[in-house]
Amino acid sequence: MSAVSKSSARNNSLRGKIAVIGIGMSPVGKVPGKSPLWLAADAAKKALADAGIQKREIDGVLSSHAMASPFHRFSIAFSEYFGIQPTFSNTLQVSGATAATMFNIGAAAIHGGLAETVLVVAGDSLLSGLTPELALRSLTESRDQQYEMPFGIPVANTFAMTAHRHMKEFGTTPEQLAQVAVTQRRHASRTPGAQQTKPITVDDVLNSGMVTTPYHKLDCSLISDGGAAFVLTSAERAKALGIERPVYLLGGAECYTHEHLFLMPSLTTTGAVESSRRAYAMAGYGAKDMDVAGVYDCFTGTVIMMLEDLGFCPKGEGGRFVADGQMTYGGQIPSNTHGGLLSFAHSGIPGSLFHFHEVIAQLRGQCGERQVADANLGLVHSLGAGFATNATTIFGTERTL
Amino acid sequence: MKKPLPAPDADTAEFWRGLRNGQLLLQHCGDCGNVQYYQQGICRNCGGENLTHRPASGRGKVHSFSVVHRAPGPAFKGDVPYAVLLVELEEGPRMISTYIGGKPDDVTFDMDVTLVCEPINDEITLPRFRRA
Ligand SMILES: [Zn+2]
Repeated sequence: MSAVSKSSARNNSLRGKIAVIGIGMSPVGKVPGKSPLWLAADAAKKALADAGIQKREIDGVLSSHAMASPFHRFSIAFSEYFGIQPTFSNTLQVSGATAATMFNIGAAAIHGGLAETVLVVAGDSLLSGLTPELALRSLTESRDQQYEMPFGIPVANTFAMTAHRHMKEFGTTPEQLAQVAVTQRRHASRTPGAQQTKPITVDDVLNSGMVTTPYHKLDCSLISDGGAAFVLTSAERAKALGIERPVYLLGGAECYTHEHLFLMPSLTTTGAVESSRRAYAMAGYGAKDMDVAGVYDCFTGTVIMMLEDLGFCPKGEGGRFVADGQMTYGGQIPSNTHGGLLSFAHSGIPGSLFHFHEVIAQLRGQCGERQVADANLGLVHSLGAGFATNATTIFGTERTL
Repeated sequence: MKKPLPAPDADTAEFWRGLRNGQLLLQHCGDCGNVQYYQQGICRNCGGENLTHRPASGRGKVHSFSVVHRAPGPAFKGDVPYAVLLVELEEGPRMISTYIGGKPDDVTFDMDVTLVCEPINDEITLPRFRRA
Protein backbone atom coordinates (compact mmCIF):
# COMPACT_ATOMS: atom_id res chain seq x y z
CA MET A 1 0.00 0.00 0.00
CA SER A 2 1.42 3.40 -0.98
CA ALA A 3 1.98 6.16 1.54
CA VAL A 4 -0.74 8.27 -0.06
CA SER A 5 -3.45 5.64 0.00
CA LYS A 6 -2.40 4.67 3.52
CA SER A 7 -2.83 8.20 4.81
CA SER A 8 -6.17 8.61 3.06
CA ALA A 9 -7.27 5.28 4.49
CA ARG A 10 -6.36 6.63 7.90
CA ASN A 11 -8.31 9.83 7.36
CA ASN A 12 -11.49 8.21 6.13
CA SER A 13 -11.40 5.05 8.20
CA LEU A 14 -12.77 4.18 11.59
CA ARG A 15 -9.31 4.50 13.10
CA GLY A 16 -9.54 6.09 16.52
CA LYS A 17 -13.15 7.16 16.00
CA ILE A 18 -14.71 4.56 18.29
CA ALA A 19 -13.93 3.72 21.90
CA VAL A 20 -14.71 0.70 24.03
CA ILE A 21 -16.01 2.21 27.26
CA GLY A 22 -17.28 -0.84 29.10
CA ILE A 23 -16.50 -4.55 29.30
CA GLY A 24 -18.20 -7.37 31.16
CA MET A 25 -18.18 -11.12 31.47
CA SER A 26 -20.52 -13.63 33.10
CA PRO A 27 -19.19 -16.53 35.13
CA VAL A 28 -17.63 -18.98 32.66
CA GLY A 29 -16.89 -22.70 32.53
CA LYS A 30 -19.65 -24.80 34.02
CA VAL A 31 -22.57 -22.49 34.82
CA PRO A 32 -25.57 -24.79 35.26
CA GLY A 33 -29.12 -23.50 35.43
CA LYS A 34 -28.41 -20.33 33.46
CA SER A 35 -29.73 -19.75 29.95
CA PRO A 36 -27.73 -18.13 27.13
CA LEU A 37 -29.91 -15.02 27.57
CA TRP A 38 -29.09 -14.84 31.29
CA LEU A 39 -25.37 -15.27 30.58
CA ALA A 40 -25.57 -12.47 28.00
CA ALA A 41 -27.61 -10.22 30.32
CA ASP A 42 -25.25 -10.79 33.24
CA ALA A 43 -22.28 -9.78 31.07
CA ALA A 44 -24.23 -6.78 29.75
CA LYS A 45 -25.09 -5.53 33.25
CA LYS A 46 -21.41 -5.66 34.16
CA ALA A 47 -20.35 -3.88 30.96
CA LEU A 48 -22.87 -1.08 31.58
CA ALA A 49 -21.78 -0.73 35.20
CA ASP A 50 -18.15 -0.65 34.04
CA ALA A 51 -18.99 2.15 31.58
CA GLY A 52 -21.09 3.94 34.20
CA ILE A 53 -24.14 4.25 31.94
CA GLN A 54 -27.79 3.18 32.17
CA LYS A 55 -29.42 0.58 29.96
CA ARG A 56 -31.70 3.20 28.41
CA GLU A 57 -28.60 4.84 26.91
CA ILE A 58 -28.04 1.77 24.70
CA ASP A 59 -29.57 2.38 21.27
CA GLY A 60 -27.82 -0.39 19.36
CA VAL A 61 -27.47 -4.11 20.07
CA LEU A 62 -25.35 -6.56 18.07
CA SER A 63 -25.24 -10.22 18.93
CA SER A 64 -24.65 -13.70 17.58
CA HIS A 65 -26.76 -16.82 17.46
CA ALA A 66 -26.56 -19.07 20.52
CA MET A 67 -26.66 -22.83 19.91
CA ALA A 68 -28.38 -23.54 23.23
CA SER A 69 -31.03 -20.88 22.68
CA PRO A 70 -34.21 -21.36 20.61
CA PHE A 71 -34.18 -17.75 19.42
CA HIS A 72 -33.09 -17.15 15.83
CA ARG A 73 -33.07 -13.39 16.40
CA PHE A 74 -30.92 -13.55 19.51
CA SER A 75 -30.20 -9.79 19.57
CA ILE A 76 -33.94 -9.07 19.52
CA ALA A 77 -34.75 -11.70 22.15
CA PHE A 78 -31.91 -10.29 24.24
CA SER A 79 -33.26 -6.75 24.08
CA GLU A 80 -36.70 -7.89 25.23
CA TYR A 81 -35.13 -9.96 28.06
CA PHE A 82 -32.96 -7.02 29.09
CA GLY A 83 -35.82 -4.53 28.89
CA ILE A 84 -34.59 -2.22 26.13
CA GLN A 85 -35.91 -1.14 22.74
CA PRO A 86 -32.91 -0.37 20.53
CA THR A 87 -33.19 1.42 17.19
CA PHE A 88 -30.30 -0.53 15.62
CA SER A 89 -29.80 -4.29 15.98
CA ASN A 90 -28.74 -7.51 14.30
CA THR A 91 -27.75 -11.11 14.95
CA LEU A 92 -24.60 -11.88 12.99
CA GLN A 93 -23.18 -15.19 11.78
CA VAL A 94 -19.74 -15.76 10.33
CA SER A 95 -18.76 -18.42 12.90
CA GLY A 96 -15.81 -17.55 15.15
CA ALA A 97 -15.11 -14.31 13.29
CA THR A 98 -18.55 -13.02 14.30
CA ALA A 99 -16.98 -11.53 17.42
CA ALA A 100 -14.85 -9.18 15.35
CA THR A 101 -17.67 -8.32 12.95
CA MET A 102 -19.78 -7.14 15.89
CA PHE A 103 -17.05 -4.61 16.68
CA ASN A 104 -16.60 -3.60 13.04
CA ILE A 105 -20.30 -3.20 12.29
CA GLY A 106 -20.98 -1.55 15.64
CA ALA A 107 -18.18 0.93 15.00
CA ALA A 108 -19.37 1.63 11.45
CA ALA A 109 -22.93 2.12 12.69
CA ILE A 110 -21.79 4.66 15.27
CA HIS A 111 -19.51 6.41 12.78
CA GLY A 112 -22.31 6.47 10.19
CA GLY A 113 -24.91 7.80 12.60
CA LEU A 114 -27.10 4.69 12.85
CA ALA A 115 -26.51 4.42 16.57
CA GLU A 116 -24.77 6.32 19.34
CA THR A 117 -24.01 3.62 21.90
CA VAL A 118 -23.81 0.00 20.81
CA LEU A 119 -23.88 -3.02 23.09
CA VAL A 120 -21.95 -5.97 21.66
CA VAL A 121 -23.22 -9.01 23.55
CA ALA A 122 -23.30 -12.80 23.32
CA GLY A 123 -23.95 -15.73 25.62
CA ASP A 124 -24.18 -19.46 25.15
CA SER A 125 -24.46 -22.56 27.24
CA LEU A 126 -22.65 -25.30 25.33
CA LEU A 127 -21.61 -27.24 28.42
CA SER A 128 -24.77 -27.16 30.55
CA GLY A 129 -27.42 -26.28 27.98
CA LEU A 130 -26.39 -28.93 25.44
CA THR A 131 -25.13 -32.44 26.00
CA PRO A 132 -21.55 -32.86 24.70
CA GLU A 133 -22.98 -35.10 21.99
CA LEU A 134 -25.43 -32.42 20.90
CA ALA A 135 -22.78 -29.73 21.06
CA LEU A 136 -20.54 -31.75 18.79
CA ARG A 137 -23.45 -32.56 16.52
CA SER A 138 -24.50 -28.96 16.15
CA LEU A 139 -20.92 -28.21 15.08
CA THR A 140 -21.02 -31.13 12.64
CA GLU A 141 -24.30 -30.05 11.16
CA SER A 142 -22.87 -26.69 10.28
CA ARG A 143 -20.92 -28.49 7.52
CA ASP A 144 -22.19 -28.89 3.95
CA GLN A 145 -24.83 -31.61 3.86
CA GLN A 146 -23.96 -32.91 0.38
CA TYR A 147 -20.19 -32.72 0.06
CA GLU A 148 -18.80 -32.92 3.59
CA MET A 149 -21.33 -34.26 6.09
CA PRO A 150 -21.92 -37.71 4.52
CA PHE A 151 -18.25 -38.49 5.21
CA GLY A 152 -18.43 -37.89 8.95
CA ILE A 153 -16.29 -34.78 8.96
CA PRO A 154 -16.53 -32.85 12.22
CA VAL A 155 -15.37 -29.23 12.19
CA ALA A 156 -12.38 -30.43 14.24
CA ASN A 157 -11.40 -32.52 11.25
CA THR A 158 -11.25 -29.55 8.88
CA PHE A 159 -8.88 -27.75 11.23
CA ALA A 160 -6.96 -30.99 11.73
CA MET A 161 -6.35 -31.38 8.00
CA THR A 162 -4.85 -27.88 7.81
CA ALA A 163 -2.53 -28.53 10.75
CA HIS A 164 -1.62 -31.95 9.39
CA ARG A 165 -0.57 -30.45 6.05
CA HIS A 166 1.37 -27.76 7.95
CA MET A 167 3.32 -30.54 9.69
CA LYS A 168 4.03 -32.17 6.32
CA GLU A 169 5.16 -28.94 4.63
CA PHE A 170 7.11 -27.29 7.44
CA GLY A 171 8.07 -30.07 9.83
CA THR A 172 5.87 -28.78 12.64
CA THR A 173 5.84 -31.43 15.38
CA PRO A 174 3.19 -32.82 17.77
CA GLU A 175 5.37 -31.53 20.62
CA GLN A 176 5.25 -27.98 19.22
CA LEU A 177 1.45 -28.19 18.91
CA ALA A 178 1.28 -29.42 22.50
CA GLN A 179 3.43 -26.51 23.67
CA VAL A 180 0.59 -24.13 22.77
CA ALA A 181 -1.76 -25.95 25.14
CA VAL A 182 0.90 -26.09 27.88
CA THR A 183 1.64 -22.35 27.58
CA GLN A 184 -1.99 -21.33 27.64
CA ARG A 185 -2.75 -23.57 30.62
CA ARG A 186 0.02 -21.80 32.50
CA HIS A 187 -1.61 -18.48 31.54
CA ALA A 188 -5.03 -19.70 32.71
CA SER A 189 -3.63 -20.67 36.11
CA ARG A 190 -3.36 -16.93 36.83
CA THR A 191 -6.84 -16.03 35.53
CA PRO A 192 -9.59 -15.94 38.13
CA GLY A 193 -12.56 -18.05 37.06
CA ALA A 194 -10.80 -19.97 34.27
CA GLN A 195 -12.29 -23.37 33.54
CA GLN A 196 -9.01 -25.35 33.49
CA THR A 197 -6.12 -24.25 35.66
CA LYS A 198 -4.22 -27.45 36.52
CA PRO A 199 -0.74 -27.32 34.95
CA ILE A 200 -0.09 -29.74 32.09
CA THR A 201 3.03 -30.94 30.30
CA VAL A 202 3.75 -31.74 26.67
CA ASP A 203 3.55 -35.44 27.61
CA ASP A 204 0.12 -34.91 29.17
CA VAL A 205 -1.10 -33.51 25.86
CA LEU A 206 0.47 -36.31 23.79
CA ASN A 207 -1.05 -38.93 26.12
CA SER A 208 -4.53 -37.41 26.31
CA GLY A 209 -5.99 -39.65 23.60
CA MET A 210 -6.33 -39.02 19.88
CA VAL A 211 -9.44 -37.15 18.69
CA THR A 212 -8.63 -36.70 15.01
CA THR A 213 -5.02 -36.76 13.84
CA PRO A 214 -2.89 -34.80 14.61
CA TYR A 215 -5.09 -33.53 17.47
CA HIS A 216 -5.22 -35.11 20.91
CA LYS A 217 -7.89 -34.23 23.43
CA LEU A 218 -5.73 -31.50 25.02
CA ASP A 219 -4.98 -29.98 21.60
CA CYS A 220 -8.71 -29.18 21.39
CA SER A 221 -10.51 -26.28 23.00
CA LEU A 222 -13.01 -26.62 25.83
CA ILE A 223 -16.78 -26.75 25.76
CA SER A 224 -18.15 -24.12 28.13
CA ASP A 225 -20.90 -21.80 29.26
CA GLY A 226 -20.44 -18.06 29.39
CA GLY A 227 -21.23 -14.63 28.04
CA ALA A 228 -19.39 -11.39 27.31
CA ALA A 229 -20.45 -7.83 26.56
CA PHE A 230 -18.90 -4.54 25.48
CA VAL A 231 -20.12 -0.97 25.20
CA LEU A 232 -18.95 1.01 22.17
CA THR A 233 -19.45 4.68 21.52
CA SER A 234 -17.76 7.53 19.66
CA ALA A 235 -14.42 8.84 20.89
CA GLU A 236 -16.10 12.24 21.50
CA ARG A 237 -18.86 10.74 23.61
CA ALA A 238 -16.32 8.68 25.57
CA LYS A 239 -14.57 11.97 26.42
CA ALA A 240 -17.86 13.68 27.33
CA LEU A 241 -18.72 10.79 29.64
CA GLY A 242 -15.35 11.17 31.36
CA ILE A 243 -14.36 7.55 30.69
CA GLU A 244 -11.11 6.99 32.55
CA ARG A 245 -9.31 4.58 30.23
CA PRO A 246 -11.04 4.35 26.87
CA VAL A 247 -9.58 1.78 24.50
CA TYR A 248 -9.76 2.77 20.85
CA LEU A 249 -10.48 0.69 17.80
CA LEU A 250 -7.51 1.38 15.52
CA GLY A 251 -8.01 -1.23 12.84
CA GLY A 252 -10.62 -3.78 11.86
CA ALA A 253 -10.63 -5.97 8.75
CA GLU A 254 -12.03 -9.27 7.56
CA CYS A 255 -11.38 -11.83 4.83
CA TYR A 256 -13.57 -14.66 3.56
CA THR A 257 -11.77 -17.09 1.26
CA HIS A 258 -14.12 -20.06 0.88
CA GLU A 259 -17.02 -21.96 2.42
CA HIS A 260 -15.97 -25.57 1.78
CA LEU A 261 -12.61 -26.83 3.04
CA PHE A 262 -11.94 -28.36 -0.38
CA LEU A 263 -12.06 -24.87 -1.90
CA MET A 264 -9.65 -23.36 0.63
CA PRO A 265 -6.97 -21.82 -1.63
CA SER A 266 -4.10 -23.12 0.55
CA LEU A 267 -4.37 -25.35 3.61
CA THR A 268 -1.45 -23.65 5.31
CA THR A 269 -1.80 -19.94 4.45
CA THR A 270 -5.14 -18.37 5.32
CA GLY A 271 -7.32 -15.29 4.92
CA ALA A 272 -5.65 -14.01 8.10
CA VAL A 273 -2.82 -12.71 5.90
CA GLU A 274 -5.21 -10.33 4.14
CA SER A 275 -7.37 -9.44 7.15
CA SER A 276 -4.29 -8.56 9.22
CA ARG A 277 -2.61 -6.68 6.36
CA ARG A 278 -5.69 -4.47 6.08
CA ALA A 279 -6.06 -4.05 9.84
CA TYR A 280 -2.41 -3.06 10.23
CA ALA A 281 -2.76 -0.58 7.35
CA MET A 282 -5.81 1.01 8.95
CA ALA A 283 -4.11 1.20 12.35
CA GLY A 284 -0.82 2.48 10.97
CA TYR A 285 1.03 -0.12 13.04
CA GLY A 286 2.56 -3.50 12.23
CA ALA A 287 2.93 -6.86 13.91
CA LYS A 288 6.20 -5.83 15.60
CA ASP A 289 4.38 -2.93 17.33
CA MET A 290 1.85 -5.15 19.12
CA ASP A 291 2.30 -5.62 22.87
CA VAL A 292 -0.29 -8.33 23.47
CA ALA A 293 -2.52 -10.55 21.36
CA GLY A 294 -5.63 -12.70 21.50
CA VAL A 295 -5.31 -15.38 18.85
CA TYR A 296 -8.28 -17.63 18.14
CA ASP A 297 -7.29 -21.05 19.45
CA CYS A 298 -9.96 -23.62 18.69
CA PHE A 299 -7.00 -26.02 18.30
CA THR A 300 -3.30 -25.74 19.08
CA GLY A 301 -2.21 -25.82 15.45
CA THR A 302 -4.56 -22.96 14.64
CA VAL A 303 -2.49 -20.69 16.91
CA ILE A 304 0.78 -21.73 15.24
CA MET A 305 -0.59 -21.01 11.78
CA MET A 306 -2.07 -17.68 12.87
CA LEU A 307 1.13 -16.45 14.53
CA GLU A 308 2.67 -16.86 11.08
CA ASP A 309 -0.18 -15.36 9.04
CA LEU A 310 -0.48 -12.38 11.41
CA GLY A 311 3.20 -11.62 10.78
CA PHE A 312 4.63 -12.42 14.20
CA CYS A 313 7.01 -14.96 12.63
CA PRO A 314 7.83 -16.19 9.10
CA LYS A 315 5.68 -18.84 7.41
CA GLY A 316 6.58 -22.28 8.65
CA GLU A 317 8.34 -21.00 11.78
CA GLY A 318 5.29 -20.99 14.06
CA GLY A 319 6.11 -24.26 15.79
CA ARG A 320 9.64 -23.20 16.68
CA PHE A 321 8.38 -19.71 17.67
CA VAL A 322 6.00 -21.23 20.21
CA ALA A 323 8.51 -23.80 21.51
CA ASP A 324 10.98 -20.93 21.93
CA GLY A 325 8.64 -19.16 24.38
CA GLN A 326 7.76 -16.32 22.00
CA MET A 327 3.99 -16.44 22.68
CA THR A 328 4.28 -15.95 26.41
CA TYR A 329 5.61 -13.33 28.84
CA GLY A 330 9.10 -12.18 27.93
CA GLY A 331 8.63 -13.42 24.37
CA GLN A 332 7.82 -11.48 21.24
CA ILE A 333 4.03 -11.47 21.61
CA PRO A 334 2.34 -12.64 24.82
CA SER A 335 -0.81 -14.30 23.47
CA ASN A 336 -3.99 -15.59 25.04
CA THR A 337 -2.86 -14.42 28.46
CA HIS A 338 -6.23 -15.43 29.96
CA GLY A 339 -5.79 -19.04 28.73
CA GLY A 340 -7.91 -18.79 25.60
CA LEU A 341 -10.41 -21.29 24.30
CA LEU A 342 -8.02 -24.07 25.24
CA SER A 343 -8.01 -23.35 29.00
CA PHE A 344 -10.10 -20.29 29.95
CA ALA A 345 -13.46 -21.11 28.28
CA HIS A 346 -15.07 -21.74 24.91
CA SER A 347 -18.78 -21.09 24.83
CA GLY A 348 -19.05 -20.62 21.06
CA ILE A 349 -19.08 -17.01 19.84
CA PRO A 350 -18.67 -15.63 23.38
CA GLY A 351 -15.45 -17.67 23.55
CA SER A 352 -14.07 -15.47 20.84
CA LEU A 353 -15.29 -12.38 22.70
CA PHE A 354 -13.25 -13.46 25.75
CA HIS A 355 -10.10 -12.72 23.71
CA PHE A 356 -11.42 -9.18 23.17
CA HIS A 357 -12.17 -8.89 26.89
CA GLU A 358 -8.66 -9.96 27.80
CA VAL A 359 -6.82 -7.74 25.31
CA ILE A 360 -8.89 -4.69 26.27
CA ALA A 361 -8.35 -5.42 29.99
CA GLN A 362 -4.60 -5.70 29.29
CA LEU A 363 -4.63 -2.30 27.54
CA ARG A 364 -6.47 -0.86 30.57
CA GLY A 365 -3.80 -2.33 32.86
CA GLN A 366 -6.34 -4.36 34.82
CA CYS A 367 -4.88 -7.86 34.59
CA GLY A 368 -3.19 -8.10 37.98
CA GLU A 369 -0.49 -10.74 38.15
CA ARG A 370 -0.91 -11.62 34.49
CA GLN A 371 -0.58 -8.01 33.31
CA VAL A 372 1.74 -7.48 30.33
CA ALA A 373 3.93 -4.49 31.24
CA ASP A 374 3.29 -1.27 29.28
CA ALA A 375 0.66 -2.78 27.00
CA ASN A 376 -0.57 -0.05 24.67
CA LEU A 377 -1.30 -1.89 21.42
CA GLY A 378 -3.23 -5.14 21.23
CA LEU A 379 -4.41 -7.40 18.43
CA VAL A 380 -7.29 -9.86 18.41
CA HIS A 381 -7.66 -12.39 15.62
CA SER A 382 -10.86 -14.36 15.38
CA LEU A 383 -11.76 -16.97 12.80
CA GLY A 384 -14.10 -19.82 12.14
CA ALA A 385 -15.47 -22.63 10.00
CA GLY A 386 -12.15 -24.23 9.08
CA PHE A 387 -10.50 -20.86 8.32
CA ALA A 388 -13.39 -19.86 6.03
CA THR A 389 -13.82 -16.66 8.05
CA ASN A 390 -11.01 -14.46 9.36
CA ALA A 391 -11.05 -11.09 11.10
CA THR A 392 -8.30 -9.02 12.70
CA THR A 393 -8.96 -6.20 15.17
CA ILE A 394 -6.38 -3.78 16.56
CA PHE A 395 -6.93 -1.73 19.69
CA GLY A 396 -4.84 0.97 21.31
CA THR A 397 -4.71 3.25 24.32
CA GLU A 398 -5.03 7.03 24.12
CA ARG A 399 -1.29 7.47 23.51
CA THR A 400 -1.37 5.30 20.37
CA LEU A 401 -3.85 7.54 18.55
CA MET B 1 -28.69 -43.81 14.48
CA LYS B 2 -28.76 -43.12 10.74
CA LYS B 3 -25.91 -41.34 9.00
CA PRO B 4 -26.68 -38.04 7.33
CA LEU B 5 -27.22 -38.56 3.61
CA PRO B 6 -27.05 -35.88 0.94
CA ALA B 7 -30.34 -34.45 -0.29
CA PRO B 8 -29.73 -33.60 -3.97
CA ASP B 9 -31.01 -30.18 -5.05
CA ALA B 10 -31.68 -28.46 -8.38
CA ASP B 11 -27.96 -27.83 -8.92
CA THR B 12 -26.77 -31.31 -7.99
CA ALA B 13 -29.28 -33.94 -9.14
CA GLU B 14 -27.13 -34.86 -12.16
CA PHE B 15 -24.02 -35.24 -9.99
CA TRP B 16 -25.71 -37.80 -7.75
CA ARG B 17 -27.21 -39.54 -10.80
CA GLY B 18 -23.66 -39.81 -12.18
CA LEU B 19 -22.41 -41.51 -9.04
CA ARG B 20 -25.25 -44.03 -9.25
CA ASN B 21 -23.84 -44.89 -12.67
CA GLY B 22 -20.31 -45.20 -11.32
CA GLN B 23 -19.09 -41.80 -12.55
CA LEU B 24 -17.76 -38.80 -10.65
CA LEU B 25 -18.97 -35.90 -12.77
CA LEU B 26 -17.03 -32.65 -12.89
CA GLN B 27 -18.36 -29.49 -14.51
CA HIS B 28 -16.34 -28.12 -17.44
CA CYS B 29 -16.98 -24.53 -18.50
CA GLY B 30 -17.30 -24.13 -22.25
CA ASP B 31 -16.54 -20.42 -22.03
CA CYS B 32 -13.38 -20.25 -19.90
CA GLY B 33 -12.22 -23.86 -19.51
CA ASN B 34 -12.63 -23.91 -15.71
CA VAL B 35 -13.17 -27.37 -14.20
CA GLN B 36 -15.17 -27.31 -11.01
CA TYR B 37 -16.33 -29.41 -8.09
CA TYR B 38 -18.93 -29.04 -6.56
CA GLN B 39 -21.95 -28.70 -8.83
CA GLN B 40 -23.27 -25.17 -9.39
CA GLY B 41 -25.65 -23.45 -11.77
CA ILE B 42 -22.87 -21.08 -12.87
CA CYS B 43 -19.12 -21.23 -13.48
CA ARG B 44 -17.28 -20.09 -10.36
CA ASN B 45 -14.65 -18.40 -12.51
CA CYS B 46 -16.53 -16.54 -15.28
CA GLY B 47 -20.16 -16.75 -14.21
CA GLY B 48 -21.17 -18.42 -17.47
CA GLU B 49 -23.78 -21.16 -17.66
CA ASN B 50 -22.25 -23.08 -20.55
CA LEU B 51 -21.35 -26.02 -18.31
CA THR B 52 -21.06 -29.64 -19.32
CA HIS B 53 -20.54 -32.68 -17.16
CA ARG B 54 -17.62 -34.99 -17.87
CA PRO B 55 -16.63 -38.00 -15.80
CA ALA B 56 -13.42 -37.60 -13.82
CA SER B 57 -10.67 -40.15 -14.36
CA GLY B 58 -11.07 -41.12 -10.72
CA ARG B 59 -7.33 -40.73 -10.16
CA GLY B 60 -6.07 -38.38 -7.46
CA LYS B 61 -3.62 -37.77 -4.62
CA VAL B 62 -4.15 -37.36 -0.88
CA HIS B 63 -3.49 -33.65 -0.27
CA SER B 64 -4.27 -33.98 3.42
CA PHE B 65 -6.06 -36.36 5.77
CA SER B 66 -7.09 -36.85 9.35
CA VAL B 67 -7.87 -40.12 11.08
CA VAL B 68 -11.02 -39.72 13.16
CA HIS B 69 -10.86 -41.49 16.54
CA ARG B 70 -13.76 -39.71 18.21
CA ALA B 71 -16.85 -39.77 16.02
CA PRO B 72 -18.82 -36.60 15.21
CA GLY B 73 -22.04 -37.89 16.73
CA PRO B 74 -23.47 -41.35 17.32
CA ALA B 75 -24.02 -42.18 13.63
CA PHE B 76 -20.29 -42.55 12.98
CA LYS B 77 -19.35 -44.23 16.25
CA GLY B 78 -19.22 -47.69 14.72
CA ASP B 79 -16.79 -46.57 12.02
CA VAL B 80 -13.88 -45.20 14.06
CA PRO B 81 -11.04 -45.06 13.37
CA TYR B 82 -11.56 -43.90 9.80
CA ALA B 83 -9.50 -41.63 7.55
CA VAL B 84 -11.13 -38.52 6.11
CA LEU B 85 -9.30 -37.49 2.96
CA LEU B 86 -8.85 -34.25 1.10
CA VAL B 87 -8.25 -35.67 -2.37
CA GLU B 88 -6.75 -33.60 -5.16
CA LEU B 89 -8.18 -34.96 -8.40
CA GLU B 90 -6.05 -35.33 -11.52
CA GLU B 91 -8.29 -32.70 -13.17
CA GLY B 92 -7.45 -30.12 -10.48
CA PRO B 93 -10.38 -29.81 -8.08
CA ARG B 94 -10.15 -31.09 -4.52
CA MET B 95 -12.87 -32.99 -2.67
CA ILE B 96 -13.63 -34.50 0.73
CA SER B 97 -13.97 -38.26 0.93
CA THR B 98 -13.05 -41.22 3.08
CA TYR B 99 -10.51 -43.99 2.65
CA ILE B 100 -11.65 -47.56 2.08
CA GLY B 101 -10.00 -50.86 1.36
CA GLY B 102 -7.24 -50.59 3.94
CA LYS B 103 -6.27 -49.49 7.41
CA PRO B 104 -6.60 -45.73 8.07
CA ASP B 105 -3.05 -45.67 9.39
CA ASP B 106 -1.76 -46.66 5.96
CA VAL B 107 -2.78 -43.30 4.46
CA THR B 108 0.13 -40.97 3.69
CA PHE B 109 0.47 -37.49 2.17
CA ASP B 110 0.45 -37.36 -1.64
CA MET B 111 -0.48 -41.07 -1.84
CA ASP B 112 -2.10 -42.05 -5.16
CA VAL B 113 -5.74 -43.01 -4.77
CA THR B 114 -8.57 -44.23 -7.03
CA LEU B 115 -12.31 -43.60 -6.93
CA VAL B 116 -14.65 -46.29 -5.62
CA CYS B 117 -18.41 -45.67 -5.97
CA GLU B 118 -20.15 -47.13 -2.95
CA PRO B 119 -23.95 -47.50 -3.17
CA ILE B 120 -25.67 -46.53 0.08
CA ASN B 121 -29.29 -46.89 -1.05
CA ASP B 122 -31.31 -46.70 -4.29
CA GLU B 123 -30.71 -42.97 -4.65
CA ILE B 124 -27.35 -42.24 -3.06
CA THR B 125 -23.94 -43.57 -4.01
CA LEU B 126 -20.97 -42.01 -2.17
CA PRO B 127 -17.60 -41.37 -3.81
CA ARG B 128 -14.83 -42.97 -1.74
CA PHE B 129 -11.17 -43.64 -2.48
CA ARG B 130 -8.79 -46.59 -2.16
CA ARG B 131 -5.06 -46.80 -2.63
CA ALA B 132 -4.24 -46.79 -6.39
ZN1 LIG C 1 -16.21 -20.22 -16.90
